[in-house]
Amino acid sequence: MSDFDSQDAVLRMFLRLRSNGFQLGIGEYRAALEAIEGGFGKDPEALAETLKLLWCHSPAEQTYFDPIWESLPKQVSVQKRRKPPFPGNKKTQPAYPERFQEMWEPDRSIPQESLPPKQPDLEMASLPIQAPYLMTGEEEQSTPLAYYPISRRSMVYSWRYLRRPVADGPADVLDIEATIRQVTRQGYYIAPVYTRRQRNNAHLLLLLDQNGSMTPFHHFTRDLVETAKQESSLIPENVEVFYFQNVPAGSVYQDPYLTEPLSLNEVLGRCDGGTSVLIVSDAGAARGYRMRERVRGTARFLYQLKRYTSLIAWLNPMSAKRWVGSSAEIIANSIPMFQMDNAGLSNAIDVVRGQPLKYSYS
Amino acid sequence: MTTSQRLTFEGNPDRRTGNAHKDSPEQPEPYVVSPELKKAVNLAIYLRRPLLLEGDAGCGKTRLASAVAYELGSPLYRWDVRSSTKAQDGLYEYDALLRLHDVEVHRIQPDQTSQSKNDENEDGRIPEHRNPSNPKHYRRLGPLGQAFRLRDRPAIVLIDEIDKADLDFPNDLLTVLDDPWEFTIRETGETIKADPAYKPIIIITSNKEKGNLPAPFLRRCLYHYVDFPNDAELLKKIIEQHYQIRKTTPPPAKLVDIAVNRFLKLWREGGLFKKPGTSEFLDWLLTLHKFELEPYDAEQLESKQVLPYRELLFKLQQDWKNSAKAS
Repeated sequence: MSDFDSQDAVLRMFLRLRSNGFQLGIGEYRAALEAIEGGFGKDPEALAETLKLLWCHSPAEQTYFDPIWESLPKQVSVQKRRKPPFPGNKKTQPAYPERFQEMWEPDRSIPQESLPPKQPDLEMASLPIQAPYLMTGEEEQSTPLAYYPISRRSMVYSWRYLRRPVADGPADVLDIEATIRQVTRQGYYIAPVYTRRQRNNAHLLLLLDQNGSMTPFHHFTRDLVETAKQESSLIPENVEVFYFQNVPAGSVYQDPYLTEPLSLNEVLGRCDGGTSVLIVSDAGAARGYRMRERVRGTARFLYQLKRYTSLIAWLNPMSAKRWVGSSAEIIANSIPMFQMDNAGLSNAIDVVRGQPLKYSYS
Repeated sequence: MTTSQRLTFEGNPDRRTGNAHKDSPEQPEPYVVSPELKKAVNLAIYLRRPLLLEGDAGCGKTRLASAVAYELGSPLYRWDVRSSTKAQDGLYEYDALLRLHDVEVHRIQPDQTSQSKNDENEDGRIPEHRNPSNPKHYRRLGPLGQAFRLRDRPAIVLIDEIDKADLDFPNDLLTVLDDPWEFTIRETGETIKADPAYKPIIIITSNKEKGNLPAPFLRRCLYHYVDFPNDAELLKKIIEQHYQIRKTTPPPAKLVDIAVNRFLKLWREGGLFKKPGTSEFLDWLLTLHKFELEPYDAEQLESKQVLPYRELLFKLQQDWKNSAKAS
């Protein structure tokens, strides 16, 4: 193989990166082709640099790019040996220095038998005939580290929908339309008309299950609290956070280390009909338990809570598939429960702001 | 487009032609551009996609825009983003209250109005003599708005510290920075459309203060991470260029050598909570050279445990205390 088919490499790389979770669209693919036309991909190295600029949007993604790119050339040559190149695609391009050819062609001086049995590159080489690997859901990601169904940013986005705007702030918002209306009515202009600033009057009560089976999800709950308090449109004083372990019975805690108890009645006393309550707990789904005491305790708590407000939703960090057979399944039938991903959080927020679609588990 | 007429950036201020735009920077920008960054800029110019620069503070993200604008002779419109900035601010602002005020003044003192000559108000600023019946006199074009109006060359628009803005800001920008490259001024009914041949070159900087930018926005951008010039040769080249362009005498070579070494040692050793950037280094060097009547003694700089003028390098209490302890 004497020439280097940049178009082909771009397409392969595009598909591979996309299947690896890179956020790329057709526009980005076409931009890469345009860049090649503009002479930004004359040899493999230049092309790799161009694609990195175009397609990688953080240093982390850039380091991710290299191994994939390295695995690609061999792939191309394997493909080339298997079938003749596409006749229309052939372009005369200058021959490349020796090292590129070496990079592009597998070294034939070594007999096949002497090759190590399994190399990561060779494993990659078999990929073109496979369907691209697509992430089908969080079930596929086996290690807890990869379990990241919801990002902090999408939490911030979701919180914005929890709002109950009331114009009771300082009167310093200029109302141009009202000013002009007033001038035309009076016939002369005295002063601009100001309206009161809007404030978000939504009141949120977060009840978080802590420790035990929830330990792996502490970074979610922490992000949830931080985003709700600092990066949402909610007024920080209107966000109340309490912690409990397994079942909030009798008292809840004001700190994540469960050392400062506060009676549940006192907490509920602060609620009114407009308080949104979001409970975050795995409800036994993490370990697959189905315990009568837990269900009974939770039901008692929910019954108590429902006397104060009906804006209640439950976020479960375990995926809905894992609820089956555990206490979570039973609880999910009595209260809107959602798995903690983008859709789940926005649905839960829909419920607690009092505008639910019809949800029901089972 | 052939290569000969294509706009390119070489990192060489001498390429500037005589007929530079009036909004182009007057002073050359001492900027040593790495080959990777040069390619990123050229790719951004070619594809007219925004170039997103990230990197530590003081590593020359912002300065790149003026270097590019100076070399190309293009106008530079700088847009400093604040937490309250809306995407529309970059396009235009409309001063309805001023117009209302002018109507009243006009009624009281009718003779004072002078018919403005520029009915179209091509300037993009609010003119001194305004006619309230002409809505165009009350719009002020923002950096992007001005860049969209250029008809003879592309403008450089620097959107500085985009991460400071509201969550929606980057996404709102996207709708403007894409085909068909136009926006409408609601108050005057004008539609401002960029010339397809001279679409603005957008350079965006971010410090990642508030987390990541939204994915759809990132997708459109070219991304380059500006690294600190962690190399003695490179740092010396930067110093040389700085003094050459400013036309001042550089510090003695020995002082530069030792200063570079001490600084890089400090930088590489780690343990700093906030690493000083290139700009801090240049300030420090200038101080060593010029603050006293005589340049700071090179040998003393080498032997002294505590760095002189460390207030220029350490900006956090912890770093400051550690630096005094003497490594």
